Amino acid sequence: MAVLTPEIVPGLVAGGASARVVDADLPAKFNVGDTVQMKNTNPSTHTRLARYVRGKTGVVNMHHGVFHFNDVIAHHGQGHQNCYSVKFTMLELWGEGYSATDYVYIDMFDDYMDKVS
Amino acid sequence: MNSIHDMGGMEGFGPINPEENEAVFHYEWEKPIFGFFFCLFAGGQINVDVFRHAIERLGNLHYLEGSYYEHWLGAFQTLLVEGGTVTIEEIDAKMTELKGDAN
Amino acid sequence: MPHDHHYDPLPDTELRVRALESILVEKDLVDPAAIDLLVDTYETKIGPRNGAKVIAKAWTDPDYKTRLFENASAAIAELGFSGVQGEDMVVVENTDTKHNVVVCTLCSCYPWPTLGLPPVWYKAAPYRSRVVKDPRGVLAEFGTTLPDSTEIHVWDSNAELRYLVLPQRPAGTDGMSAEELEELVTRDSMIGVKVIAAPA
Repeated sequence: MAVLTPEIVPGLVAGGASARVVDADLPAKFNVGDTVQMKNTNPSTHTRLARYVRGKTGVVNMHHGVFHFNDVIAHHGQGHQNCYSVKFTMLELWGEGYSATDYVYIDMFDDYMDKVS
Repeated sequence: MNSIHDMGGMEGFGPINPEENEAVFHYEWEKPIFGFFFCLFAGGQINVDVFRHAIERLGNLHYLEGSYYEHWLGAFQTLLVEGGTVTIEEIDAKMTELKGDAN
Repeated sequence: MPHDHHYDPLPDTELRVRALESILVEKDLVDPAAIDLLVDTYETKIGPRNGAKVIAKAWTDPDYKTRLFENASAAIAELGFSGVQGEDMVVVENTDTKHNVVVCTLCSCYPWPTLGLPPVWYKAAPYRSRVVKDPRGVLAEFGTTLPDSTEIHVWDSNAELRYLVLPQRPAGTDGMSAEELEELVTRDSMIGVKVIAAPA
């Protein structure tokens, strides 16, 4: 018999599978308001560090908490990190002619960033 | 990995062309593909991240040629074969059998 | 069968799906009845009407709105919406000076419990590539024009947080009940590519 039967479907759909790690004893590396630079890292393995923000500088906007780290889970590993919303101006991302008051927010993990100030 | 899926800021993909009042599933074959995600997750054959990475590994040409649920199909096939659950030969044989039944 | 000319399946797709399903059922890895229930659930039970209820309640109940911004997942779950691809929610509010729009540039992440399954355009290359670089051009394709003085804030859902836009309540809706307001809230306004027009 398959694991997922109709009886189990409603509970699975309504419960989901959060990637959040509750009660994780992992202090945040960064604080809201920190200026941070995304690393220029180009792994051939799975990463959620999108290319368009690599090497770019933004500001930590929110601390989401600790989550399972997608980059290792995709390779059957285990690990969790703090996850933050980081805010960039369009000007920073795309250069001259782009707006300094339109923004992109993207969710970055501890290992993706270095603190600038 | 730096494959085609990582497309933020890329140009040349043309207009967005949103469809009004589109159906949730556009083709009947999309329905089982959608369902497999839950079945294989519950059964432990996949997790979300392994699944996403399998889509990223489809090959850029195939990724651009295929529609959304065809990405899922490719990923399931990759993971089930890599996991030893199914072989390519089994899939090919079944496709031949089903095609024969239709004639 | 619906047919979209820029979305034809590849030649052996349907046959391959049938073959895979047949094999997986034979191996007891897939229960077809579970698939039927999942399809029915996401075709008929889970969709943007759920998100519309969240929005209408936030517009009419200030305490609820406060809870929505303190813990979006819990507040959304109060209305019975939770689970797969919505476990960890963030709500972002549109104002006179700030307009939010959501994307997943890397794949198709989207808040299923509040909006249902994403539309084809959200998951496709044109939107995913362009909205983080030219959001005003993207909004224009949807017929949405914002003043230059309005900031555009684009949220790329690349991790496991899922984002829902709280659109501005349109003018001319004073005195409307939550149920009446729900009818005005569109899926596209909760993604952020459209605003909600004042009722006629």
